[in-house]
Amino acid sequence: MSAMLLGRVSPVRRFRNRLAIGMVWLSVATAAVPLAFLMVYLAQKGAGIVDWNFLTDDIPISSRLPGPGMGPAVLGTLLITGMATLVSVPLGVLAAVYLNEYGGNRRLAAVLRFLSDVMAGVPSIVMGLFIYTVYVLRYGLSGFAGALALGCLMLPIVIRSAETALKLVPDELREASAALGARTSRTILTVVIPAALPGIVSGALLAVARAAGETAPLLFTIGTVNAANPSLFDGANTALSAQIFGNARQPFEAAIDRAWGAALTLILLVFVLTAVARLVTRRFTVR
Amino acid sequence: MAVTTAPPAPPRPPALTSPGRAGLSDKAFRFLSLGCGLLVLVILGFITVAMTQKAWPAFSHDGLRFFTTSRWAPNVEVFGSLSFVYGTVVTAIVALVLAVPLSVGLALFLSDIAPRRLRRPVSSLVDLLAAVPSVVYGLWGVIVLAPWLAGVYERVSDITSPIPVLSSLFSGPSTGRGLFTAGIILALMVTPIITSITREVFDTVPVMAKEAAYALGSTRWEMIRAAVFPHSRAGMIGAVMLGVGRAMGETIAAALVIGSSPQITANLFGSGDSMAAVIANQFNEAGGLHRSALIALGVELFLLTILVNIVARVVIARGRVRA
Amino acid sequence: MLRRFSRTGLVLAMALFAAACGGGDDTPNASTDGTAAGGTATTKEPALSATLNASGATFPKGFYEVAVAGYKKVQPGVTVNYNATGSGAGRQALQDGVVDFAGSDGLVNPNDLSKYKGEFVYIPTVAAPITVSYNLSGVNDLTLDADTIAKIFQRQVKKWDDPAIAGQNPGVRLPATDITVAHRSDGSGTTENFTKYLVAAAPNTWTLKSGSTVEWPSDTQAGNGNQGVAQIVKATPGAVGYVDLSDAKASGLQFAKVKNKSGKAVAANLEGTTAALAGAQINADLSYNPLNAEGADAYPITAPTWILVYKNQADKVKGEAIKSFLRFVVGDGQKLAKDVDYAPLPTALQQKAVAQIDLIVVPGT
Repeated sequence: MSAMLLGRVSPVRRFRNRLAIGMVWLSVATAAVPLAFLMVYLAQKGAGIVDWNFLTDDIPISSRLPGPGMGPAVLGTLLITGMATLVSVPLGVLAAVYLNEYGGNRRLAAVLRFLSDVMAGVPSIVMGLFIYTVYVLRYGLSGFAGALALGCLMLPIVIRSAETALKLVPDELREASAALGARTSRTILTVVIPAALPGIVSGALLAVARAAGETAPLLFTIGTVNAANPSLFDGANTALSAQIFGNARQPFEAAIDRAWGAALTLILLVFVLTAVARLVTRRFTVR
Repeated sequence: MAVTTAPPAPPRPPALTSPGRAGLSDKAFRFLSLGCGLLVLVILGFITVAMTQKAWPAFSHDGLRFFTTSRWAPNVEVFGSLSFVYGTVVTAIVALVLAVPLSVGLALFLSDIAPRRLRRPVSSLVDLLAAVPSVVYGLWGVIVLAPWLAGVYERVSDITSPIPVLSSLFSGPSTGRGLFTAGIILALMVTPIITSITREVFDTVPVMAKEAAYALGSTRWEMIRAAVFPHSRAGMIGAVMLGVGRAMGETIAAALVIGSSPQITANLFGSGDSMAAVIANQFNEAGGLHRSALIALGVELFLLTILVNIVARVVIARGRVRA
Repeated sequence: MLRRFSRTGLVLAMALFAAACGGGDDTPNASTDGTAAGGTATTKEPALSATLNASGATFPKGFYEVAVAGYKKVQPGVTVNYNATGSGAGRQALQDGVVDFAGSDGLVNPNDLSKYKGEFVYIPTVAAPITVSYNLSGVNDLTLDADTIAKIFQRQVKKWDDPAIAGQNPGVRLPATDITVAHRSDGSGTTENFTKYLVAAAPNTWTLKSGSTVEWPSDTQAGNGNQGVAQIVKATPGAVGYVDLSDAKASGLQFAKVKNKSGKAVAANLEGTTAALAGAQINADLSYNPLNAEGADAYPITAPTWILVYKNQADKVKGEAIKSFLRFVVGDGQKLAKDVDYAPLPTALQQKAVAQIDLIVVPGT
């Protein structure tokens, strides 16, 4: 269709169009190239070591010893990030609901929106320190403390992206629901949120991806372990991100191998989670 | 014919319209969502209070000099944060300059320009960028990117050395670890967030607006400028704000590639330091006043983020008035 | 709602799956019959069961890891988690009561004593040399004294063929390469000990004072962790940096001989370290300073490290476990030190350490 119209278009405009489209393609290439290099590097370093044993065996107590595994870290990352998601996503979505559905242009909503952006800028290590001060000092090191710290990191991302998603739901849907006699809360729960779901899920996934990869907030809150700790509340725990950082700073080949293996595992884990969630959303979203 | 009886009332779905208990649960839901909204306020307030309390010894020790001087010497208890503020701002600016066009391009590609087949793979590409942990970006940056960039910087500085302003911005020799490299790594980390949210916004541009632009004879690019961008401005701003927040608050990756040299230098290829990076680097070994000073840096970053947000809002508001 | 739950359910399912296949250790905190073990390390201890959390210095991490692994064979029911976050973080964690003991390369500042929850004791564990590693092809034997090291790291001496260096290395052909100085970007007990040495041994030359972070000149390079510095030295011809022995050896670096207080050039090895420990003055609380120690064969840049633990333990089971572990570390565990490039304590100091452990009070004994 555009070709038909472009026949009558001045060369300047055609050139600008070509240029803009070209820039867009260039941006795709610019994003793809470093990522490709990174993934190749990771695959070279980590692929050799990742196997079932790596994912399930305990971490060797002495890091100079070769061999697997990262089992406790895999479990820790799943548990801690899972709990952080459980805590921050519902709260974040509800907060976004307030901001968009009830708050609108009111003063309080504007302040909360502003504060949510400010919270996104807090360094992750400060979040960790905050949870250390208010929770760890009272209840000790635990996976849950790490989950709280990560949840605080995730919250502003979830709120912002959920609010954007909710805002994009056309008002006609809300009005139609109200016309059928539904209360606001019912409208929100059964009409607005499902319509905004792709955006909400995508925002939540971004938040999860971030949380899974953060090291600093976990430094003071979860401690470390060499054997798997399935409990979030009882005793220290470890996570892939913390292990990557700790092991990559060691001089021993074995530790460095494990670090890259853990890195590859973490990326695959998050990516698979993302893909599965997107699939689920697509399957269940009403179009 | 004359109707003498009113038509039968339409069947009323029971749950939707029964009052009493329903009204209560509606209020409860509203209250619940308000509570969650306030949670942000509470947490931030908590963080501010707790941090300021711990940072107080440093503030009272150095006073205003904490904000205005650039000498940071923990072992003689001299704390000036200016060089870190400079590093944070510069790396964030570099990151945004690189990331925003990249992200907008990716978002446009995904929503308007991509052929059907490519949409899913490129979308997965963005997800993969987000899935890489920050520490891996940092490590890859130090081990692979920085050494390679050192060579690139050499060549660029050779080219720019005769040109007056550019020569001081881009001078070598360089180790590859510095402000610009940190900016690049941050750009990679910030791109997925901005892209994802912007793409969602682009996807909801009403098709009619796009068709209307085409009907008026616009090229694809002109349609984008006429229909997509205006509709998406607010969402894009929100996305960029999140990106700014992440760029300024990113701790580990920045700490590894920024060069860790607290100095204010115009040379983008030179080493610097940022607030989040120095907190990450020095916190574990810090005690007493040093620790307070690092937390004070955290408070300062807080304030800086607030300032940036306010400035952004003012700029946007002005822009809206003019438009 | 359903979508959110299905995603969470997926996460939980994967977690349960991983946990089922993980087969990790159980770490119960149940109490066993706590008969007083007490006394020396040679009597057979009853089986203990506890989980100990510790954090602290990264410098001794290599040794603590093998010690924990070795201890697990002796007391399989006790799990020790040592989180190498840094000396400062370890001391802070002990102040806050979040860990059972802390590892620290440095002594506690007297001003901070009141912040601790009670009296604590220093248990010396091992020591290791800090090497001055360099990258100069063709130069296999380099000797430096404290003044020269100070000048190099302060960027007053900028080339390898400078007379200050050449003067100490007669017969060695030094190239005219620029010196690249590598130091730590993160706060570090290693930096602290290295700079303390320079303050003590080159007081008129070294002006940057000491600390976990120092104001290095801006034309130097910073690396994260000992490994980061080692990487810079390895990759840059003409580079010099301070790296602990373990990391330097593992990275294949060459290191210089350093002139000690007596004027003899000593290599960075374990014999020199033990000599430094022997020559150091031990205080009553077992703090000591082996830097720039007396003794003909002492390696002057020898870094100490201690475990800090509260004297009065509140929990009987944990207290027993802590004492048992510490006894192992200063007892049978010392045999493991050499293999991982750490110097064991000399006999006199080791006996004092054992006596120090006995001072720890466990309720019910």
